[in-house]
Amino acid sequence: MVRKQNQSPETEASLFLVEFLKVAITSIVFLKGIYPIGAYERRRYMNLVVHSARHPKLHSYIHDSLSELVSYFQQGMVERVAVIFFNDANVPIEKFMFKINVTRSHGEIMEDGALESSMRAFLIKLSQSEPLTKASSQDWKWEIAAYFRLLPSDNGDRWIRTQALQWQQPPMITPIKSMKADPFSVQLYIEHPDLLEPI
Amino acid sequence: MSSDSSHSAKSASNSKRSFNSTNSNQSGANSFSKNKKERVGDSGQKTLGMAWGSGSRSSSRSSFRSSPFTDFGSYMEVKNRKLHEQFDAEASISSHGGSGSKKPVFHGVSIYVDGYTVPSSQELRGYMLKHGGRFENYFSRQRVTHIICSNLPNSKVKNLRSFSCGLPVVKPTWVLDCVVADKLLNWAPYQLDQLASETNNQPKLSAILGLRSNLVACDPANAPLTSDINISEVGDSAEDIKQPNQEYEAFEHDICDEAKDKEPSCSNKCENEVEETNERRRCSDIQSITQTLSMISGSSNKGHSTSFDPNFVETYFKNSRLHFIGTWRNRYRKRFPSSSRPSSSSSASSTCHRNTIIHIDMDCFFVSVVIRNRPGLWDKPVVVCHSDNPRGTSEISSANYPARDHGVRAGLFVRDAKACCPHLVIVPYDFEAYEEVADQFYSILHKHCNKVQAMSCDEAILDITDLDVDDPQVLASLIRKEIFDTTRCTASVGISNNILMARLATKSAKPNGQCYLPPEKVNDFLKQLPIKALPGIGRALEEKLKGRHVKTCGELRMISKESLQKDFGPKTSDMLWNHCRGIDNRLVGIIQESKSVGAEVNWGVRFKDSKDSQVFLLSLCKEVSLRLHGCGARGRTFTLKLKKRKTDEEPVKYMGCGDCDNLCHSLTVPMATDDVDVLKRITKQLFSQFHIDVKEIRGVGLHVTKLESADSVKHGNEKSSLRSWLASASPSKEKENKDHKLVNILHIVDTKNQIGGSHHHQPRSNADVGNILSNQEANHSSDVPPLSDLDSDVLEKLPPEIFSEINDIYSGKLSNFMSKHKLDSNGVGTSSILPEYVEGVAAESEPGIISENTAASSSQYIDMMPSASSHIDPSIIQELPEEIKNGITNLFPAHSAPQIRSHDHLVDQVKPTDHSSSHQLWVGNSPQWVEKFKSSDSQILRFFSDMYSGVGSTHRLSSVLLKSFSANEACLGGKTTECDDTVRCLCQLLKDYVDLELESDLEEIHTCFRLLQRLSGRSKFLLQVYNTTLPHLQTAMRENYGGSLRV
Repeated sequence: MVRKQNQSPETEASLFLVEFLKVAITSIVFLKGIYPIGAYERRRYMNLVVHSARHPKLHSYIHDSLSELVSYFQQGMVERVAVIFFNDANVPIEKFMFKINVTRSHGEIMEDGALESSMRAFLIKLSQSEPLTKASSQDWKWEIAAYFRLLPSDNGDRWIRTQALQWQQPPMITPIKSMKADPFSVQLYIEHPDLLEPI
Repeated sequence: MSSDSSHSAKSASNSKRSFNSTNSNQSGANSFSKNKKERVGDSGQKTLGMAWGSGSRSSSRSSFRSSPFTDFGSYMEVKNRKLHEQFDAEASISSHGGSGSKKPVFHGVSIYVDGYTVPSSQELRGYMLKHGGRFENYFSRQRVTHIICSNLPNSKVKNLRSFSCGLPVVKPTWVLDCVVADKLLNWAPYQLDQLASETNNQPKLSAILGLRSNLVACDPANAPLTSDINISEVGDSAEDIKQPNQEYEAFEHDICDEAKDKEPSCSNKCENEVEETNERRRCSDIQSITQTLSMISGSSNKGHSTSFDPNFVETYFKNSRLHFIGTWRNRYRKRFPSSSRPSSSSSASSTCHRNTIIHIDMDCFFVSVVIRNRPGLWDKPVVVCHSDNPRGTSEISSANYPARDHGVRAGLFVRDAKACCPHLVIVPYDFEAYEEVADQFYSILHKHCNKVQAMSCDEAILDITDLDVDDPQVLASLIRKEIFDTTRCTASVGISNNILMARLATKSAKPNGQCYLPPEKVNDFLKQLPIKALPGIGRALEEKLKGRHVKTCGELRMISKESLQKDFGPKTSDMLWNHCRGIDNRLVGIIQESKSVGAEVNWGVRFKDSKDSQVFLLSLCKEVSLRLHGCGARGRTFTLKLKKRKTDEEPVKYMGCGDCDNLCHSLTVPMATDDVDVLKRITKQLFSQFHIDVKEIRGVGLHVTKLESADSVKHGNEKSSLRSWLASASPSKEKENKDHKLVNILHIVDTKNQIGGSHHHQPRSNADVGNILSNQEANHSSDVPPLSDLDSDVLEKLPPEIFSEINDIYSGKLSNFMSKHKLDSNGVGTSSILPEYVEGVAAESEPGIISENTAASSSQYIDMMPSASSHIDPSIIQELPEEIKNGITNLFPAHSAPQIRSHDHLVDQVKPTDHSSSHQLWVGNSPQWVEKFKSSDSQILRFFSDMYSGVGSTHRLSSVLLKSFSANEACLGGKTTECDDTVRCLCQLLKDYVDLELESDLEEIHTCFRLLQRLSGRSKFLLQVYNTTLPHLQTAMRENYGGSLRV
């Protein structure tokens, strides 16, 4: 991916992050098997084979959702981005949490390959993770949700309320991958409902 | 002085007094003897000036009030004040040559000299000056306690009450005699002859005719100070006829036997002339007298209830007959100290040969004493009663034999008694006379016999077995005659071989007779005796026996002992069986020690608000305390009784208690006390337990039981306050209190431990110096926590007394411990004895790095501060005001500060180089724990250190653990049980790692714990580490991620 050089480092990092999340989230949805394989096409990202949404609606949903977050990433307001799978009753079954830390003060970062290799490692680990390889049933629904540190002050009407219900008990957490790099660090973990949680 | 004389010229009635004052001003303070001679000439002059008749007095009194003389009134006020000042000044000078430390003779006495006297009023004034009394130039009901005069004009005698206002009118010789005797004598014998004869000759016409009785007012000879209240009663009833008159006797206030202080030998004193040692008591008495006197003028009926009279309790007990009887014994015991001890010979002689016991009892003591100087009344029906009012609602407390013939008995209402006997004469109490007669009575008895057992103030038992007496009857009549000659009161005597029979004999001897029951006659005597005559058989028992058709002792004898036991129980049956056979093995001379001391007031108790009740309780406490002092006892159990009215209606008896519920709370304290402050506190506490509306209270009683002799509980000057039993070297019974107290302190310590150590569910360090001590201590006292558990901060704050006591319990090691602790905290801080220090593991086991740790360990001093920044919710810190935020940030180790300042910069600290001293184990490129572990004694710690060095530059614990898989079991301490210290070190390492990494690298922590879990299958030691650290991890997880980690 080649970036335009006239962008500020913050914006550049945010776009970089969004791009990365787009790939990661599509991978998760692909691996969970919500949609038929025909909905995706194979692409190359950072010298890795990844899947990208071919279906326009799916593609636009992922793309638009994450693109909206770019400015918030720049401000460091987004704490977590979640991919929530839930059943018919809108009870979440699985939450893939991207815990994100964006560092605003960074210099020339794109030069070394540390970030790239980290991201690659992240994506490889993601595809190999046991919870992801377990296919889910087709009638699951999913959505992308963002967790903010502060309530965004602007354009409240652009936001859609999440349909997912809350769990009563604190969830069980299974870490998948933690990535520490200079412009941003991302940790992915899965939240499952506690055994005591009535579903 | 010129103004003085000009005014005295205006008012003739005041001329004499201003003259006096002029003299007193002229005369030097120290020249009384000279004065005396000079005054002789003056005295004649004074009679001229004397014009203190009732008429002039009233006119002068009105002059204070009526408007034309307001100037004069204020002038007099100023003048009086000035006179007092002068008197005080002179007194202070003259007292230098006085008796010194001893209480002056006339303390509390204030005389007013009326008219011509020998010696002169100036001389009397000098005596008062010298001996601590007061001299009033002008008559004042509030200030004057005695009126001194040699003779009175007829008009004053006739109208004595308005003249004296009920104060004693005494001859000047009284003052002289008091000075000679060097103590305050009873003034009664010095009463003005005129008055004494007047009153004695005066028939109680008014009383008989049922007019408003001036009974007391015209009889000051026999009813001195205590009757002042009666004066007021009379006045009251006159003014308010609708109100039934009030009786002073409580319906049922039982005085449990003990006494306030009483003077030993100069007995015949009015209440305010008590023992010199008890100054406070005396003062309050005098106060109450003046209070009473002001009541007269105010004619306030309600002055008799608790709510209006601040001295109610004292006044009440001063006017109580039961109180007199109750307190009499103590007085007696002081007077005849030897007699209260049973002599050893009596027990030896009691059984082997025939005893002769004399029981002697005064005939209707309370009446006959009062009328002893009035032979005219001897054959008339007379009763003693508190008041004689037209309503007749007061109760008769004692009746003489002529009155009894008419069917008048004690307990009857006056109106009923008058119905039986229209000519009934009613006289008031005369407590001074009672005391006097009782003392005379006992003096006579002790003269004749050395084995005297006092039963009451008017009743005694003599054991004349050992005396060489031919005929006991002769001795008895001799004693009776002597009693009559001395006291002019009659006594009856019963003589037999034991106490029981002697008492029964006395009953048949009364009145004024004697009865000898030799053993051979006992049987016949008892045969016909009704059972209720036996002591110990009351109404209930009589009814029970009546049900079995037993009416006489003869009939009672027919019943077998077994059958009696079946019906009445062992004790009662024994008593019945013995008594009906005239058997009584009690010995003469044994006075039962009182089991309780207390005071109860069930009359006139009316509280307006809780303040009233508190004041009342306070005075009740004072009274009880005085009684405790009086009988030299201290008590441990305190019982507060309340009478709560059942209905809203006022009872029939004026100010009585009526129908009441009896409520009662008690409290036992570990240390016997008679201290009034302690009593107050306890009483307050007890009172608050009732949760009762004070308006409902009709009676209050405070009783003290579990008495101990005050001598056995020697305290020296120390007050029996809480402090004394804390500080004093412990007698065994105090031990429990101590322990209790200590447990409290230690509880505090424990709580602190929990707070301080709650984040680290970790066993206490055994390697501490403190624990070594504590092991030793374990032998010393099992219920005392080890030294190491004590919080030195708490100990430091303790009062020195308590500290020394705890120190005692630890047999002195505590102070060592404390000094050690001080050294530690001041200097190095290596040996962390206190649990709070446990967090500073590095400091403990690695002396090499102490200096770097000082900051960290000092931060541990602040209790309740979480050790790690991760325990603090940054958002809360953010919300705090700037100063507080700074304060908290400063308390924290350096690394947490940036986090608290802004967690937007969390990434900053991701780099290991940012690690601070708190997690110093992970500081540096090669973390400190590596070095530390390398030098450790523990094999396993050295192993981990080596492992870390082996993995290269990753700085990751997971790599270390991963590599550990390849190690053999021995390296991981599979079999060996490592000491706690090693476990703690490793746990701390892990915890620090969790705190450090969890925020940014969940994966790494997860991996570490997964690895550790797997390793723990192979090593008990690591299992222990895993189990210890997992809760910490999960807590941190919940704080950071809102869920628990699936391991």
